[in-house]
Amino acid sequence: MSIAPIELDRPERKAAAKLVFDGVSKRFGRGPDAVLAVARADAYVGEGEFLCIVGPSGCGKSTLLNIVAGFERPTAGEVRLDGRTVERPGAERGVVFQQGALFSWMTVLENVAFGPRARGQAAGAARDLAMTYLEMVGLAGFARRYPYELSGGMQQRVGIARALANDPAVLLMDEPFAALDQQTRELLQEEIKRIWRRTGKTVLWITHSIEEALFLATHLVVMTARPGRLKAAYAVGFDADADRNVTTSAAFTEAKREIVGLLRAESIEAQRQEGVGR
Amino acid sequence: MTARNLDPDIAVQAGEAADDAGAGRRAARRSRTLSLASFAVMLLAWTALTGSGLWPPVVESIFLPSPLAVWQAFVKLWNIGYQGRSLAHHILISLMRFGIAFVFCIVVGVPVGLMMGMSASVRALLDPPIETTRPIPKLALLPLFIIWFGIGELAKTIVIITALFPLMSISAMQAVRSVSLRKIQAAESLGASRWTIFRRVVLPASLPGIFTGIRVSVGIGVTMLVGAEMVATSDGIAWMALSAADFIQTDIVLVGVLIMAAMGYSLDRICRVIEARLVHWSGKD
Repeated sequence: MSIAPIELDRPERKAAAKLVFDGVSKRFGRGPDAVLAVARADAYVGEGEFLCIVGPSGCGKSTLLNIVAGFERPTAGEVRLDGRTVERPGAERGVVFQQGALFSWMTVLENVAFGPRARGQAAGAARDLAMTYLEMVGLAGFARRYPYELSGGMQQRVGIARALANDPAVLLMDEPFAALDQQTRELLQEEIKRIWRRTGKTVLWITHSIEEALFLATHLVVMTARPGRLKAAYAVGFDADADRNVTTSAAFTEAKREIVGLLRAESIEAQRQEGVGR
Repeated sequence: MTARNLDPDIAVQAGEAADDAGAGRRAARRSRTLSLASFAVMLLAWTALTGSGLWPPVVESIFLPSPLAVWQAFVKLWNIGYQGRSLAHHILISLMRFGIAFVFCIVVGVPVGLMMGMSASVRALLDPPIETTRPIPKLALLPLFIIWFGIGELAKTIVIITALFPLMSISAMQAVRSVSLRKIQAAESLGASRWTIFRRVVLPASLPGIFTGIRVSVGIGVTMLVGAEMVATSDGIAWMALSAADFIQTDIVLVGVLIMAAMGYSLDRICRVIEARLVHWSGKD
């Protein structure tokens, strides 16, 4: 029950790698105004790992996720999933957004059935499948409601069910709980951990909350301020099932202290850069 | 699922929704009462100004006939018609001129706008003709259309179309272009094809904006109808009012004006009812 430094780009991790960051860089703009958002990110992510990326705001962690999702192309390097280079969005990479990504004109059930339908499943089969995932996130009773009739936390559950319904090879989560209140967030964190154990999905999770990352992750990466680099990585193992109050344990606090220390320097650097930018 | 897995706010949500509905109904009732009161005041002022047989009129009936006189004119027109044609004919022919142009713009103008929103090439192609002709007052083109298309229905319909078409296509284009990128990305990452994204995401997300264009078009369309019936016509409700004005038959003019007001109002109401059904989720994101 602790964290241990690890290097994610070690060759011995390569054999089991599902998701590979191979020298990924992203530059926005051209000439003197160009901003280097991500600089040479290298990492191997294994099957079934829960990788959390934490970093100060504007460090390029969302850019990294957008590249994996295929919404943005890297300026250099590439991302590979199961050996195939990512070039565009695809159903094998399910994305859960922070908020506002549900289809407001569809019922909850239609939202979740959208992926299976879009990939050619029959309407009945897609609905049954959607219902299974709605049950998994505890919203079976809300299938006929519209997203605007649901609270923020429930909407995020729908987003998670919608991404899972495609049975993606990897789940990409871009600060999915950042807009929720503390109680709802903690409940959902427990639940996402349960779902992750049950489905065995590989997860890439972006967050600015160190506690969230320590609670959820099997692996944690700290990103530097712009240009975003993978500064340090840890193997994380806090078992909430063994100790319900694990987040208040001494080991957890110790781990948090270490990451906070790393991040503080980065946040100060990020703020300084913003000041210079203005 | 166990109750533990539910959000704490699920339980209270239903209760809050009921409260909201109650407050909404009360607010709606208050608005309705105020609207009715506003109508009543207008009618009272009209009655008072014209005397209505109760006292000498403040405004001569040749300028403003009393509500009763206007009602009598309406009944007479309904029974014997105007200038050899029934009142229903005048109303229907006007509705037809407006309706053909209106439906044409919805069926052609809106899809053109959608394509402009979806494709930069289509936009580059169609933007210049629409943008350069937009500032021209379309009624000024009516004489030209009469030379080109004769004095029949075609010229009238086309002049209304020229006013409504850019309105509807540009609002449809804007609606498409303001669809949230996140929703499109969500659909892409769920494996949807370009066509599926258009049909199930872009189109429904654009509906509120499209409806705004349609509702503005109702008002402009009725205005254009009056202009179109100003020349080279011998029927239509606006023509009726205009030709009655030549003989200072103010009561008939007012009947025509009120019928046109009722037409515009009911068409707008119909649009609003359809809109509320179709885009019930609008603004609740």
